[in-house]
Amino acid sequence: MSTIRRRRFIQGVGAGAAIALGGSGGWAQSASTELSDYTQIDVERARAEGTISFYTSLDTQIVDEVIRTFKAEHGIDVTYFRGGSADVTSKVLAEADAGRLQADLVDASDLAALLIMKERGLLKPFRSRAIDAVDETLRDPDGTWIADRLTQACIQYNSDEFGEAPPRTWAELAEEPYASRLIYFSSANGDGAPRLYTLAQTFGWELLEAFAAAKPFRVQTPQLITQLIESGERGVAFCTNDNIAWRSKRGNKPTDYVYPAEGVPTELGALGLFQGSAKPHAAALFYEYWMSKEGQELMANAGGKYSSRSDAAPPEGSPPLAEIELLTLDPRHYAENRADILQRMADTFGGEWGV
Amino acid sequence: MTVVLGLAIILLLVIVAYPLMWLLLAAFGVPGDIGLSHFARAYARFQNIEPLLNTLILAIGAGFLSVVLGVPLAWATARSDMPFRNTVRACVALSYITPPYLSALAFIILLGPDAGYLNRLLRLVIDVPTGPFNVFGMTGIILVISLHVFAFTFFLTEAALKSVDASFEEAAQILGARRWTTIVKINLPLVAPAITGGALLAAVESLALFGPQAFLGTPAQISFLPTRIYAVVSSYPPRWGEAAALSLILILLTCIGLLIQRSYLERRSYVTIGGKGARLRPVPLGRWKWLLLAFCFTVVFFSAIAPVGVLLLASVSDSWVAPLSTGNFTIEHFRRALIEDQMAARGIWNSLRLATSAALIAVIVGAAIAYIDLRTRLAGRRLLDYLAILPLGLPGTVMAIGLLLAFIRPPLVIYATIWILLVAYVARFIPLATRSVNGALRQVDSSLEEAARIAGATWLQAIRLILLPLVRPALLVAFLLVFIPAFAELSATILLYTSGTETISIAIFRLNDLGQLEVVAALSVFTIAVVLIVSLALSWLSNRSPLRRNTPPKV
Repeated sequence: MSTIRRRRFIQGVGAGAAIALGGSGGWAQSASTELSDYTQIDVERARAEGTISFYTSLDTQIVDEVIRTFKAEHGIDVTYFRGGSADVTSKVLAEADAGRLQADLVDASDLAALLIMKERGLLKPFRSRAIDAVDETLRDPDGTWIADRLTQACIQYNSDEFGEAPPRTWAELAEEPYASRLIYFSSANGDGAPRLYTLAQTFGWELLEAFAAAKPFRVQTPQLITQLIESGERGVAFCTNDNIAWRSKRGNKPTDYVYPAEGVPTELGALGLFQGSAKPHAAALFYEYWMSKEGQELMANAGGKYSSRSDAAPPEGSPPLAEIELLTLDPRHYAENRADILQRMADTFGGEWGV
Repeated sequence: MTVVLGLAIILLLVIVAYPLMWLLLAAFGVPGDIGLSHFARAYARFQNIEPLLNTLILAIGAGFLSVVLGVPLAWATARSDMPFRNTVRACVALSYITPPYLSALAFIILLGPDAGYLNRLLRLVIDVPTGPFNVFGMTGIILVISLHVFAFTFFLTEAALKSVDASFEEAAQILGARRWTTIVKINLPLVAPAITGGALLAAVESLALFGPQAFLGTPAQISFLPTRIYAVVSSYPPRWGEAAALSLILILLTCIGLLIQRSYLERRSYVTIGGKGARLRPVPLGRWKWLLLAFCFTVVFFSAIAPVGVLLLASVSDSWVAPLSTGNFTIEHFRRALIEDQMAARGIWNSLRLATSAALIAVIVGAAIAYIDLRTRLAGRRLLDYLAILPLGLPGTVMAIGLLLAFIRPPLVIYATIWILLVAYVARFIPLATRSVNGALRQVDSSLEEAARIAGATWLQAIRLILLPLVRPALLVAFLLVFIPAFAELSATILLYTSGTETISIAIFRLNDLGQLEVVAALSVFTIAVVLIVSLALSWLSNRSPLRRNTPPKV
C-alpha cells in the first residue's frame, strides 16, 4: 500500500465514521396531543409519523408476520426488540430511568411487568375498539394494558419415545420413565417462574421439588426446548409454551403435547402504549391492528397463540380454551412477591434466576 | 496544541474516570442509603458466593491449563526442529483472534452431549447412550476458555525462550547433561517468570470473559461473576447497587492478578539476553519431533481448526443435527443471516460503523496521550497514561455497569443511544491504541521535530510533516488492533444496546436464544472472516513497518 493510498484509507475511514454516527437521530421527548381513544387515531398523521418501535417477548415468527401485513396495509414499518419478558421489562425500566424510552409500545407475557410499568406511569390509558370483544378480566379498567394472548404451559414430549404411553398428569413426570428425560426452561432472569409458581400454588411446592429432584435439563427458552425434544435429545418438557409445541407438531416433527386435565397454568400476554411516545398515532394504529380480529387470527394462525378475543378462533386443530382447565395467577400478587418467589425457585432448582 | 491535548484529557476523564466514579458511588449506596448495605447484601447471599467461587476455579483452571497447552507449543515453535512450526504459530494466533463466544458456540456443535459432531462420531465406535463428552459443565467451560487464553502463555513463553542466552545450554551440554535435563533444569527456570506471567494473564482474561460463561454456563446452571452481574441488572427492577458491589470484587480479582503478573514480568530481568554471538540452535528431536507435532496439532486442531470448521459446516447445513450429506447443503442460512433477518442486518452495519469509529477515535486519543507522555513535561501526564491503561484491568461487564450508571443520568444522558456503545468501545480498547502508538513514538527521536522547529516550522507542521509520516504505519496498526476486538465485542454491548443499536454479537446472542443455530453459525462465519481479513492486513502492515517491532499480543 503506497503512502497516498494509505492516507486515503484513513481519510475514507474518517469520513465514513462521521457519516455513520451522524445518522442516528435522537429521541424526541415531546409528547404530542392527547390520544386516549381509538376514534381519535388519525391515519394520515400516523403515516407522517413513520416507523415505530415495538418491544416484545413474542416469538419472532408471529411478530414478523403481523408487521409484514400491517406494513402492507398502512405503509408504516415497525422495528422491534425481541427478548424474554424480563429482558423487555428491564430494558423499558432502565430506559425510562434515563428518560429515553426507545419504544412506542410494549408487549410482554408477564402481566406483572406491565403492572409495574403502569405503576411507574409509563403506560398510557387508551380505549381500544377491541374492548367489546375482550373479557373485562383480561384488560385494565384504566385502559393501560389489554391482554392479547393466553399461553398455556403444557407438557410436550417426543412421540417416537413416548407416543405409546404419553404422560397425562404433572405428578407422573417426576417418576420414570419420564423423570430422567425431563427438560424445562427459564431465562437467567426468571422468565419461566410465573407458570412454575402457578403450579406450586395449585399442587404445592412438593410437585416442583419432585421435578427438581429428577435433575431436569434447563434451557433458556421454549424454542430451545422444542429443538431438543424434536431431536430426541430430551424426552419430555414440563411447562413449555403450547404454541411452540403446536407449531412443532404441525411441522410434522416427532412431537406431541398434552394439557393435563387437572389444570394447566396460563399466562396472559398484554399490550400497552407508552406515555410520551413521539409517534402516538402510528403506535395506536398498530395497537388497534394487533388487537383487531384480523390481527389476532394472524397471531393464532402464524404462531398458534390463543387470542384474548372471544370472537377469534383458536389455532387450527387446537381445542377451544373453554375445554382446558386453566390455572391463573394473580399478577398483582406476583408483582409484589416476585423476589421471594424467584428466590424459592433458585433454592428449589438451583441455577440463575436473576434474584 | 493545548486544545488537542486538553480534549484528549477531558475525553479520558469522561469515558474512564467518570464511569468508575459512579461504579464506586453506586456500590456504596449513592444515591440513597449510603453505606455498606450493598456489599453486605451482595456477599451474604449464596447466589453471589457461588459465582465468585466458580470464577476463581475457572481462573485457576484456565491459568493452569494454559501452561499445559501453551508451554510445550511455545518450546516446540521456539526451540525445536519440529516441522510446521510456523503453521502451528499461525493457528495459535487464529485461536486467539476468534472471539471466545464463537468458540463456545462451535464447541456446542462439536461436543453437545447428544447431537455434537464428535460425540456422534464416537458413539459409532463406543456403545454409550449419550455423550461421552458434555461441554455444558465446569470442565467444558474451562477447556473452551483455556483453548482461547493459552495464547497468552504461548506468546510470552515463546518470546522468552527465543531470548535466553544459548551459552547456558551449551555449558550444560558440555558438562554432559542430557537433553531432557537441559530443558527442565536450564530452559524452564530461565523462562519461568514468563510462563507464570502468561498464566496469570490467561487467568485474568478468563475472569473477565462473558460469552463462553453465558453460552455454556447458563444451560449448565453454573454462574460466574460476569454472568451473575448481567442477571442482576437484566432482571427487573435492575439492582444497580448489588451489581456495582459485585463488579468491584471482579475488579479487585483482576487487579490482583495483573499486579502479580507485573511483578513476575519485571523479574524477567534475570532472563539473560545474550549478545549476537549466542544464537540458539534448534534442538534436534529425531523421531520425537513427530510425537511433539502430534501434540501441537491436537491442540491447534481443537483451538482453531475445529471451531472454525464446525461453524462453517453448520452454516451450510440445512439442519446441523442431520447427517452430513450433499442433500443437507444450503446457503439459505447466509441469506437469512446477512440479508433477511432485520436485527442481524442492522447488527452488521452497527458493528462495522462502531468498530471503525471507535478505532479512529482511540487512535487519535491514544496518539495524543502517547505524545503528552513522551514529548511534554505536562504535570499529571503520568496519571493520564495510567488512566489510558486502566481499562485493561476492567472486564467488559464491569465497564458496562459503570457506563450505565454514569450515562443514564444527567448531565450526560447517552444511555439507549448508539453513542454509549461508541464510548464503551473507545474506553475498553484505548489501551491497545495508546500502547501501540507509544511504542512507535519512543523510537522516533524528538530531535527530528526539534530540527524542524529550529528550521522555522510551526508545531503543527513539525507534527504533520516529520512525525506523522514516520509513525503512520504504527497508527494504522493501532487502528486495526482496536477494530478487531470492537467489531465482535459482546460483554459490554449486552448491557448497553437497545432496539436499533444491536451489534453482530447481539444478533448472535439473541438468535442463539431462539435456537437458530445454523443462522447463528452463518453470522459467526461472517464475523470470523471479517476479523481474519483485518488481522491479516494487520500482520502484513506491522511486518513491513519501517519501525519494525514486536506488536504486543492484543490484550
